[in-house]
Parts: sequence; C-alpha cells; structure tokens
Amino acid sequence: MKIEDYSRLSRRSVLKGAAAASALAASGALGMLPSRAFAADDLRAQILKIPGVGKGQPTDADFQKVGELTLGATKANVKQGEFAGVQLSFMGLNNQNLHNVLFRGFLKPWEDYTGAKITWIDLAQADYNPRLQQSIATNTIDFDLIEMGAPFEGDVCGKGLTSEMPDWVKKQIDMEDLVNYLKPPVGTWNGKQYRVTVDGDAHNFNYRTDVFADADLAKAWKDGGGKGEWVVPKTWQQVQAVTKFLKGQKFKGNDVYGYLDAPKPWGGFGFYFLGSRASAYAKHPEDKAWLFDTDTMKPRVNNPAWVRAIQDVLDALPSEPPNQLNADPNETAFSQFLGGTGSMVSWWGDVGSNVKTNDTSVVGDLTGFSILPGSDDVYNSKTGKWDTLTSGPNYAPNCAYLGWGVYVMARVDTDPVKQKAAWSAAAHLGGKDLSLWCAAYPSGFQPYRNSHFNIPEWVAAGYDEAFITSYLKSESDSYNHPNAAIEPRIPGIFQYYSLAEDELAKIFAGQSTAQAGADAIAAAWEKLTDQIGRDNQIKLYKASLGV
Amino acid sequence: MTIVVPAETTAHNETAFRATVIISRVLTYGALLLWAFICLFPIYWTVTTSMKVAVDVTQGHLLPWGDFKPDWRGWRSLGLSPDTIFGTSTVRSEFLSRFGNSVVTSIGASTLAVIIGSLAAYGLSRFEYKFAWMRNKDISFFFLSQLILPPVVLALPFLVLYRELALLDTTVGLMLLYTLTVLPIVIWIMRDQFDTIPIELDEAALVDGLSVWGAFWHIILPIALPGMVAAYILSIVLCWNEYFFAALLTSSDAKTLPVMVASQTGSQGINWWSMAALSTTAIAPLAIIGIFLERYIVKGLTAGAVK
Amino acid sequence: MQNTAQATTGEKFAAGSNSISANRRTAGRALIIAASAGLVAMIIVQFLHVVGLSPVGFANWRPVLYAFVAWGVALGAGQVLANGERGERALFVLPAVLFTVAMVIFPTLFGLYIAFTDWNLSSFTGQRFNGFDNLVALFHDTSFWNALLNMVFYVLAVLVEYAIAFGLALLLNAEIRARKFFRVAFLLPFMLSPVAVSWMIGKSIMEYRFGPASVLARVLGWSSPSFFTSPWIARVSIEAMDAWVSIPFIMILLLAGLQALPKEVMEASRIDGANGWQQFWEMTFPLMLPVSVTAIILRIIFKLKLADIVINTTSGGPGGATDTVSSFIYREYRDRSNVGYGTMLAMFYLVLIIIFVTALLNLASRRIRRVT
Repeated sequence: MKIEDYSRLSRRSVLKGAAAASALAASGALGMLPSRAFAADDLRAQILKIPGVGKGQPTDADFQKVGELTLGATKANVKQGEFAGVQLSFMGLNNQNLHNVLFRGFLKPWEDYTGAKITWIDLAQADYNPRLQQSIATNTIDFDLIEMGAPFEGDVCGKGLTSEMPDWVKKQIDMEDLVNYLKPPVGTWNGKQYRVTVDGDAHNFNYRTDVFADADLAKAWKDGGGKGEWVVPKTWQQVQAVTKFLKGQKFKGNDVYGYLDAPKPWGGFGFYFLGSRASAYAKHPEDKAWLFDTDTMKPRVNNPAWVRAIQDVLDALPSEPPNQLNADPNETAFSQFLGGTGSMVSWWGDVGSNVKTNDTSVVGDLTGFSILPGSDDVYNSKTGKWDTLTSGPNYAPNCAYLGWGVYVMARVDTDPVKQKAAWSAAAHLGGKDLSLWCAAYPSGFQPYRNSHFNIPEWVAAGYDEAFITSYLKSESDSYNHPNAAIEPRIPGIFQYYSLAEDELAKIFAGQSTAQAGADAIAAAWEKLTDQIGRDNQIKLYKASLGV
Repeated sequence: MTIVVPAETTAHNETAFRATVIISRVLTYGALLLWAFICLFPIYWTVTTSMKVAVDVTQGHLLPWGDFKPDWRGWRSLGLSPDTIFGTSTVRSEFLSRFGNSVVTSIGASTLAVIIGSLAAYGLSRFEYKFAWMRNKDISFFFLSQLILPPVVLALPFLVLYRELALLDTTVGLMLLYTLTVLPIVIWIMRDQFDTIPIELDEAALVDGLSVWGAFWHIILPIALPGMVAAYILSIVLCWNEYFFAALLTSSDAKTLPVMVASQTGSQGINWWSMAALSTTAIAPLAIIGIFLERYIVKGLTAGAVK
Repeated sequence: MQNTAQATTGEKFAAGSNSISANRRTAGRALIIAASAGLVAMIIVQFLHVVGLSPVGFANWRPVLYAFVAWGVALGAGQVLANGERGERALFVLPAVLFTVAMVIFPTLFGLYIAFTDWNLSSFTGQRFNGFDNLVALFHDTSFWNALLNMVFYVLAVLVEYAIAFGLALLLNAEIRARKFFRVAFLLPFMLSPVAVSWMIGKSIMEYRFGPASVLARVLGWSSPSFFTSPWIARVSIEAMDAWVSIPFIMILLLAGLQALPKEVMEASRIDGANGWQQFWEMTFPLMLPVSVTAIILRIIFKLKLADIVINTTSGGPGGATDTVSSFIYREYRDRSNVGYGTMLAMFYLVLIIIFVTALLNLASRRIRRVT
C-alpha cells in the first residue's frame, strides 16, 4: 500500500495543490469524532475503512476481506459446510474491478464457509445482452445466478425463467430497507418477488465546484451579459447558456468546457443521456408516461419536447471539446470529467463514488452534485402545448436502468439444497452491510437502501461531510422525486434505445435535422413495437408505470 | 527506393557512385527505422502503460524512470505483481485458467487444422477429384468460402447445434470451431507448398515401391515441413485472438483470454494500467513465438510463394 | 454429401494401376452401405425420439456425432477396399471435406431458414416465416447501403496496404544489417488482438488530449487533432489501425515470394544494365504477380469482415462514416436481437462477396494462369 499512497499523493498534487491533503486530513479527523454508540455499527465502520477513502482503489484482497466480515447474516441461516458439493454457475459482467470481479472476492469467503463452489461466466458489457437473449431463445441457459438490470425483467422473469424469492431471503436482506422507487413493482413480475437488489440507479448532475466559484469567470460572465449570478445551473436553459459562454474561456490557464454530451452510441445505453436532457421537457407532472403514449405505444420521441432536447445537444456540441462527437458516456464521465475536462455532466451515481476513490480521478474535492436540471416550461402531450408551472421550473430526475440485481434461475428449483445455496449466495451479495461498502467504493453500484443515507457513517469512513451530503442528497432526491421519470420495464427496451442511438448519431453528425431524425426514430420504434407485439407492450408499459 | 545499385562503375563517376550508395543506405535505414518505430511504439506504449498510474497516462508520460516512476499497479490488479503473487487472488486464478484454456484450444485447433488441411492440400495439388459436380477448383473455393461468412450470423445456429451435441462450454467444441475457421488458410498455403514440389519426386517414390501414402509420408512431408510450421503459426495467431465465438460458446470451463481482455472496457471508465497489463500478457506468448519461429514463417512460405 | 465420393485418376500424375478383385470391391461397397445405413438409422431413431414419437433414443445428439465419425472412417476404408489406389487418394481430401461439411451443414441450412423469418428474440410470438420481407427491407435500408459504400473505401485501401507491404518486403530482402530484428519487429503487430489494438491505439495513443499521436500531431501543426470526428479523417484513422495490424501479413507473404525469386534471372537483368527501378517493374513485379494476387485476395476477404476495431473505437460513427457491413450486422443482430433480418443481411452480403471474389479470381487468373 505504501507505493500506492505515494503515487496517489503525487497524482493529487497535480491538479489540486494544497487541497491534496484534505482527504487524509478527513480520515485523520476520525479520532476526534464524538464517540457514538458504535456497538451495532462497529462492523459497518470497520468495513468502510477497507481500504479507506483516499487510500487508492480497493483490490481483490479488500473484496475478500469485506466478504469475510459481512458473512454474519449468512452464518445465521446456513450451517458451516451445508452446501458441500454444490456447484453454482454465476453469469455477470466482468468490468475492471467491478461486478463479477467484485462478486468473486465477496463470495470467496462464502464458498469457504458453506462448501459450495461457484464457477463464473464473465461477459463484456457489449456481449451481455446478446448472450442473454440468445441463451433464452435457444434454451441454452447454463447459469444458476445472474446479475441483471431491471429492464431485462420483462425478457427473463416474464418468461418464467427465474426462481421466486423464499421468505427467509427477504428477511435476511431486509427488503423493507430499500428506497421507495426500487420496491415492487420493480423486482417483481405478476406479484412475485424475484430480485435481490444490489444497486440503485438514477442520473444525477455532477459539476465542478471550483469552476462555478471562480471570480474571473464570474466577472467574464457578468461582462458578457450573462443572465443572473455565476452559479451552478438549475435548468437546462442555464446549462446551455453556461456551456456556450465557457467556450474559449480559460480556467487555471487551461481551456474550460461546460456540459459534456455523449453523442457516440454505446450499445443502447447512450440513449439514457438524451433522456436526461429530455426528461424535464417531456415528463409532465400530471402524466406518468414520457416515452410512449400509454394507450397506443405511439412514440413521443418526435414530439416537441424530445426534439428540443436533441436540438439542445446540436446547439451545445460546437461549444464542447473538439472530439466530443466521438465521446460515449464512458468517456464523458471517466475520461473527461474525472480527468478534469468539462465542468458539468449527467451520469449515474458512479461519478460521485468514483471522484474520490478511483485512481483516474483528479477532481475528488472539486465536485458537487444535484438532481438533474429542470426546465422553465414543460411540454404537455395531452394538450400539445408548453406549460409553465406555477411552482417554478419542472424537475424530472431520470431514474434510468433501475439498478442491477441478482436473480436466481428457475432451474435450481428442482434441487432444494442447490436452491438454498443459490439464494444464500444472492442474499450475501445483497446484504445490508456489504451494500454499504459497495456504495462507498468504486463498484458500479450506488446507494439503494434507506440505511445508506446515514451521513455520519460516511464521514467516519473519511468522506468530507459537505461533499458526501451533497452527493447523497442528489441521489436520494432523485429516487424520491414525485415527478421522477421511470424506466419502462418492457421487453426489448434496449432495442428501442439502440435504434434511437443509430439515428441520433446521424443527427449529431449533421446528416439529418433534429425533427427529421426524431421522426425516423419514431417510425423505427413503431415497427419494432409491431414486431415484438403491440398489445403486450401496451400492457407491460402500463404495468411498469403503475397505471 | 533504390534497392539494387546500378552496376556501371567506371572510374570517373566513382564519387558519384559512392554518393548514390550512401544516399540509398540512408534512405533504406531511415525507412527501416521509421517503420520499426511505427510497429514497436504501440507495443512499447502498452507495456509501459501497465506500469503507470493515472496521472502518467493522462499526461502522456513516456519514459520509465525518466518522466514517470514505474509502479506495479496494472500487474497488481491481475494478482501478478511481486507483492500479490503469493497471496490468494481470485483474479489471478481466473486469469490462469483462461490462459491455460487459450493455450490448449489454440494448439489443439491449429494441430488438427494443419493435419487435415495438409492432407487435403496435398490431395488437391496432386490428384483430380470429382465430388458430385465439384472439381478441384470448386472444392478449393468451397473451403475458401468458409472464411467469408461474418461469424455473427452463425451465432444462433451454432448455439443450437452445440446444445444438441452437448459441446457448449467444452474445449473440444471450441477447438473444432477454430479448426473450421483456420482450415481454409492452411489449405491455401499448403496447396501452394505442394505445388512447388516436383511431381517427379512422387513418381520416383512410387517406382521405388512406395504407396501413395508412403510417398506422401516419407518423401513429400519432410520437404513441406517448413511450410507446415508457417501455416501452424498463422493458425495459432488467429485462434489465440479469436473473441466472438469464445464469448458465445463458453461459460466457465472452456473460457479463454480474449474475452477477459475485451471485458476490461466496461461502463465505469478504463483502468489503463490493468488493460495494458492484460494486453501485454495476451501478446507475450505470440511475441515469443514471433521472435523464435519467425524464420520458419518466411522460410516456410518461401517454398510455395512463386511458381 | 452422399457416398458418391470418387476420385478419378488425374492426368497430373500417371499412376500405376493395380487390379482389384471383385470380392474386395463388393466388400468395400458393402462396408460403405452398411455404415451409411447404420448412420441413417441412428439419425432416424434419434429424430423420432427428439420429436417425441419414440421412447428410444439418447439424451442428446452426441452419440450421433460419434456415429458420424465412425461412418467417416468406414467410408474411407470402404473407398480403399473398393477402389484401391483411387480410394487411397480420396482419403487425402476426405477428412477435411467431411469435417467441414459436418460443421457447416446444419448452421448453413438453419441460417438460411432464419434469414427468411421475422425473428426478434424479444418478440412474444417467436419466429415467424415472412418470405422475402427481409430482403425487401434490406433494399430500403440506407444504413446497410451506407456501410457497403464504406466497404468500397476499405477494400480499395488494401491496395495502399499492399504497396506499403511490398516496399517493406523489398527493404527486408535487401542487403541490410540487423535483418532479424527488423523482420521480427515488422511482424509483431500481426500478433495483436484487434480488441487490444482498438483500445491501446484507438483510445489511448490517439486520445485527443494526452495521446502521443495527438501530441505529435500538435507539434506538426494540427491544432486540434481529433481523429474520429470528421468523416474522412475517422475513416482514414480506422483504416490506419487496421492496416497496422494486417500489413505484416501481406508483407510476410510477399517477402517469402521475393526470397523465392530465381537468383539467376535477377543477376541476368542486372548485368543487362537495368537500373533498380526498371528491374523492379520489368522483372520483380511481374514475377511477384501470383503471390501478390494470393496476398491481396486473402487480405480482401479478411477486410470484408472488419468489425472489431470499428465497434470498439467509433461504433460506426460519426454518423455512420466508419460503419462496416459487419459492424452494422453486429448491431442489428446482437444489440437489437433482430436475428431474422440480421441473418438476411449477412446472407446477402455473403452472396455479394462470393460474386466479387469469384470475379476477382477470374480476372486474376486471366492475367496469370494459376489461381485458386
């Protein structure tokens, strides 16, 4: 660890100079905290110090340690060696240091204790969806557990391929602790509970505090006739203005950029980022739907709200970094924003949990968070008019993807020991304490339990209080927002997104106008809906919106 | 680019001649060094990146000990750095099992392809066949056409076929498929090889009382051996890097290295150092093959190249 | 593929004929017939079992695979028994043919069937036969035609790759020092997997802020070197990466060709007073034509399947400027699980390629007699 500490310090010093020591100072302050009733929280405090915020990125040894320490709940339900001889197969993603890499470390102690053996099917993100769909279509499901996002529930649970959650698991993972928007219907199908949630997902808004506190920029903003004070934008209209203003400005001697769009296709996931720009325009508080008309599945993607969002991207792109047309969301968040380029980006909560703990990050102490920007007016697709709400700007956080979960496949149901083993493994990964660690470190997983929002725990782990409050508030406000735009859990949703991405790429490259391109997306979506089966899609879309 | 210098060397243009020689030398070595740089720099970049921390990547540092301090970071994430090599590492055991499978699969598939490919190539070179309506030319094209189809469309059919044959997630299954994909190249190269070996050799062997197979085995095969080595190495390279079917048809028992390299590129950014470390280990075996067996490749192909 | 495999005596090779007794001939034929009957019987039994008409059968088709192998052996033995030396000759090509046929016959037929169905993996109704609808859709699919147009560029670029590779091969064939080093160095890029190349080069070296290639470009006066945002630069960048990997392949084939050139002929032309340039165009190049054709055709076939680098580096962007047919099919087939249409795209593309390659081979063989 010594070398890592050293290198971390040298890295930090590059961008932040004197601020470098703050993370260490924070963890040094641990001893000065008033000693609270730590008895029950002892374990949680202990795991949060592995390896410690600001101590470099956790490695395999750390994962195993966390898995070991959080084995208590499993021990209460499973005798030592109870699953000896059981072999389970687990399919998931194999992103660097995330997902399966993490699960392997977590489950190593579980395997040692229970005697079960897990084999792993690791997939690249791009292979995940096709592999899953093809396995289902050709009846070659060769896994007992799967890590899967809620959008796939229609394809998998809807076809009866998963095992229903036993009651003891519900108790072990304390389902009541989930934040509201992840409670059923999410994770269920026809009223049966299938999913062990391990992640919560919503797009929030990440910005650079130092850019928006800079006096020179504030002066230039005033001089240039900018509206209002030089502050963090609260609406997309302001985001646009700031982005255009920052083009050509200097900050700490370097070019500074505003919002970072992700125009390059990303296996369907890129569409979420247009969604985040569109939700405030398109998601009317009096209407639950925003992607399709609920009664007909007629796409709304070519209505004035979405077209305006597309046009916003077109207008902003010339003011963004020169190679932005080839930037996918991975690039905007992890290469650009964490690397110090750009001052605003929408992303899942990963940015927040990575700024301080990812080795790539140079903006750890300079990042602030809020829910997605709103809009001064919102499109009402019932009346076809733009409404200005009396309550002020319309906010509509994009609860995209609804997080990852671990599911047990129905094929284990024939063997009670195997079934118990599979569920025990899933429950271990969805455990209350283990999930806290995941939320705090780069894991690909965000907070998703009410118990994750206990700020003193995070502070004790070494987080700066203002920073972590800002981050957790942005997450919790998004999850609990009354006007949240919820992911439709309909079969083939990623096909819709992928089709849209292709058309959007043409628009952004200037081959088509916003309206014409949006019309092309709508036409392709209509065709796809017919291909998949319109009546069923309508039914499932309504169910996913809860109408 | 002057490769062969003009031959007229009369006394009075001796100096001019010398100047030409020097210029052509300079140009030749300049071009050689430039291209060597183009070839080696990305590999150098990959290897050094596995030793870099983030800031060294983002600032484009190039020289270890010069402008950055090497660190075992990338190798640590694989459990292969000096401080982690003796500990328990789930990543390393994953890596090693994949590495082993890759070795077995590539060698197995290449061996099978070279054996049946060489036989077929010899046959096509020496005899005239007629299978139904197909003659030699058609048979050759039939093999070649196996190379053309984009593999993605075979995804579902092969899933179904392998399910029915219980070959999913088996090394044998993967090996058979790889054999199929490299077979056309082996046949193409080997047929050229056999074409250059004079038929008189076969005839002499037959006169000596050897059978057709005897002539092939005792006389022709030893001559064609360098060509087989070349075909073998090309096959190994192609099998080693195959990614698409590996991701599709394997799950836990037969999984190979390229899938692990590809999945270093997930949704939460790229850790350049571990990507680089993994790429380095994936290149290493082939680079070693390149260094030690390179002469066989050229020598082997030489025999059959021009006719 | 029935047991009509027959090797006719070729005129290439005057063979000593040995007469075969009638008994032996009968035994050979009987063996083949018996083995074939056994295989067919086994297939029928298993088929009836799978469709549920018969309780007798195996858990999967693996035993049929073994039966096929046994049948192959019997077929070979039967050929030798029945046809003597002709049979022995058939034995050379039989393993490869049987192997290839066994591997591709089912996938090809099933693939053809899929191509004529409407099959979206997420669809509730599953697979549905839809005749030529996919083909019609294909003709209206601008993305496909755009990708095909891009392929024209990529294929033409093979000529540039070939020219560079030829130059390099000439260099390596010249009297140089450290030849071994240069040969190994020039060969190495071929060993890299396309996935690693697209990340370590496309995303790291060509990164516009810190990538060494961008730094170099800035030094050379290109103020904002973004390699993947304008259509032509993006296309050329992708091509450059692909060329980097595959030039060694062409170069090796050409180098082997150069080394096999008859020394006397070269010497003779030199004594005739030809200078380097003349010698190249009048002697070397024409002599190298056959191997050039082989190299170019193999390279074109690989090029037509170009996908990995595009998918990883640009996803076909900006706006489809770098899309290849294969990368487009990947998106349709995998990202959108639209396997019916995706398969039709690939089958249509396959037909185009076969026509193109056949034409190329014919053209080439008219120039030089020996190809294929």
